[in-house]
Amino acid sequence: MPPRRIGNDYESDSEGSMFGDIDTSRTKKGKGKAVDRTKSAKAKGKAKEQPYAWEATYTRSWDTVQEDETGSLQGAVQDLIARGRRRRLLAPAAAIRRTIIRHLVLVLDLSTSMMDRDMRPTRFDLMLQYAREFVNEWFDQNPLGQIGVVGMRGGVGERIGEMSGNPQHVLKHIAERHKLEPGGDPSLQNAIEMARSSMSHLPTHSSREIVVIFGSLTTCDPGNVHDTLDECVKDKIRISIVALAAEMKICRDLCDKTGGTFGVAMNEGHFKDLLFELIPPPAQRAIARTTGTGVGNPAADLMMMGFPTRLPNTSPPSLCVCHSQLKSEGFLCPRCMAKVCDVPTDCDICGLMIVSSPHLARSYHHLFPVKPYHPVKTLEDAPHLENKCHACATAFPESPPPVTAATEGMSPLGRYRCPDCHYDFCAECDVFVHEVVHCCPGCGK
Amino acid sequence: MDRPNHLSVVVDLSPSQWYLCGQPSNAHPLPLAAFLSQLLAFLNAHIACNDENTLSVYGALPGRSALLYSSASAELSELTDPADSNTYRQFKILDSTMMKSMSEQVDALSDLEEESPIGLVGSLTKSLCYINRVTNVSTSSTTTVGSDEPTIRPDPRILIISVSPDEAASYIPVMNSIFSAQKLKVTIDVCKIYGPESVFLQQAAHLTGGSYIFLDRPDALLQYLTMTFLPPPALRQLISVPTQDKVDFRAACFCHKNIVDIGFVCSVCLSIFCQPVPVCSTCRTKFPIKTLQRLNASKPALAPARSTAPVPSPSPANSLPRSQAIGLPRTTSMGNGISASPGRNGASTR
Repeated sequence: MPPRRIGNDYESDSEGSMFGDIDTSRTKKGKGKAVDRTKSAKAKGKAKEQPYAWEATYTRSWDTVQEDETGSLQGAVQDLIARGRRRRLLAPAAAIRRTIIRHLVLVLDLSTSMMDRDMRPTRFDLMLQYAREFVNEWFDQNPLGQIGVVGMRGGVGERIGEMSGNPQHVLKHIAERHKLEPGGDPSLQNAIEMARSSMSHLPTHSSREIVVIFGSLTTCDPGNVHDTLDECVKDKIRISIVALAAEMKICRDLCDKTGGTFGVAMNEGHFKDLLFELIPPPAQRAIARTTGTGVGNPAADLMMMGFPTRLPNTSPPSLCVCHSQLKSEGFLCPRCMAKVCDVPTDCDICGLMIVSSPHLARSYHHLFPVKPYHPVKTLEDAPHLENKCHACATAFPESPPPVTAATEGMSPLGRYRCPDCHYDFCAECDVFVHEVVHCCPGCGK
Repeated sequence: MDRPNHLSVVVDLSPSQWYLCGQPSNAHPLPLAAFLSQLLAFLNAHIACNDENTLSVYGALPGRSALLYSSASAELSELTDPADSNTYRQFKILDSTMMKSMSEQVDALSDLEEESPIGLVGSLTKSLCYINRVTNVSTSSTTTVGSDEPTIRPDPRILIISVSPDEAASYIPVMNSIFSAQKLKVTIDVCKIYGPESVFLQQAAHLTGGSYIFLDRPDALLQYLTMTFLPPPALRQLISVPTQDKVDFRAACFCHKNIVDIGFVCSVCLSIFCQPVPVCSTCRTKFPIKTLQRLNASKPALAPARSTAPVPSPSPANSLPRSQAIGLPRTTSMGNGISASPGRNGASTR
């Protein structure tokens, strides 16, 4: 285990090296070795060629920037931005089988190492802020999921919030900073055992996940942490870790063996990216399909659900069946017309599961993704040639730019064409349609 | 009304529905010509409210959608008509552009297209893309100029003027558009002039905090428009606008595109079916045979009758009387269902 100071040094200057002089790669390599002593020899061999993945990403990115004829960089910069956006879209859109009913325990590191200031204002404050945003966004995309919160401090795991499906409840638990003041050492084993026990009762068709935000370089465990790891593998709990300091062998093992992801945050923005990559529902494991070919997923089931009618608070008051209180607003069970106060719930009269259909519909864009648009290379063979974007009516550039630095996935004309309706869209609408709307404006599906 | 705001109007231009709406046999007929003059008066009022108010109008035509007018393009276009001394120039541009593009679009309709479903989704998503661009451009331009000035976003909202019944096949796209509107903080208002109550548009207005109004007197359209939809959402908290009396949360099933109030949901992908199916058509999950037997036993007796119509036919599914669903034979689990709560029957008949 390397001294923490070194880890922090390399963390804090990683941002600088992105745009810094090219020659730092040698010194960086030396530092990398000092930090990654826990890495296996194989990893070190690989590290000789390319010490860090992020260096490769940003290597000589300035070479691709070229001035246009007026000496302005604006076009080139916009080009880079558009390319970065499109890269996300090029990811395969095939995996349709995703887990939608998710259960997640968020494990927060509350050890003294979280008071380090290498991330502004402190790691702790930044973690709390991102955790809140994470919870909001997570419930937005996984409306049927539940989140519990566990903290690691003073060598024990501490239950901060019970499993809850209400984002407000979860946010309340992590809202008060003074209750979560960091102290002592973290214990991965204790925290993971606690998270595991809180998920042990869950039905098998839901996914069980643990997300750890880990800022320390040590873990203070009562027993063998590898036993805990084996238990998690047996229970099909997926562990993902976002480390703020450096890579630890045990963290990497936890993630690799349970099918989670591991990442070390380089800077504030990267921390957020790593955390938010865990939000989309994971593809369900293929094991379920291969084991029982005839039966399929044994946990899958067909559920009968009712979609209620909502009464406003101006309707004539009547008694609700759940609290026997006189109320105006409420939801009517579609089968027995009983009035219940809140959804989702089971109807107290007929036992029908009542859910709000928009809750279900929030996840449908994962099932029916929009086909990726193809970049248009030439203006020939176009069925509908329009000089404006079909969606937002912005005019396309008149002529292709003289510098054709077009790489894969980029259109020199700034046009992206839907494979189904053959309409052309601008780069901005392309991203917006695929990331937000999930519905092609041309074909209407 | 100090802050400028953006309004996108989606006009349903279904020829057959407008013909029906204008029939003199209706209690309060509203022909298309009368509708257009009232709509144009409303649009003029919107751009007159604030100098910087922006506007875009989309037409939802059978099988397609088109941009009829937008403030951005109007600035660029040179109006060839001679100036009219009696009309404010902006009004003149708006009115003539609207009428010109509308007649172009309607003329371009072929006979075949007239029967195809209305392009509501297309115009809705286009207006969202437009709003996305408008809001994005305004933020980026202010950051380049200087960040000392507070970012003034045109407060965006969408008004859907609808005459057609729900298109059950477009359930998922409509819901996706609603969620993206929520994300962009766009308010969706719905003005339903003719036809049955729209389940999807009710949900759209409810989820985005807008108003859904079903007109009792379509011939008084302009009054509804100016009293309810002219003030921006920020101002509506202060004045009392008509609210929705109830929101129907029914969904469309994936198998026959029926609008159902009791559905069967796959636990893996949450697909909705109107009857128990052995295999999920979306994620290919096979369901245990025991569940199927149990659900088939408790299934409402109406389901087989629905399944005989595999072709999506919105109007019969839409007009499916809820009372029919209520009056079904009770399942064993329900026991003392209705008689326990007399107060509800009153609510259900409304």
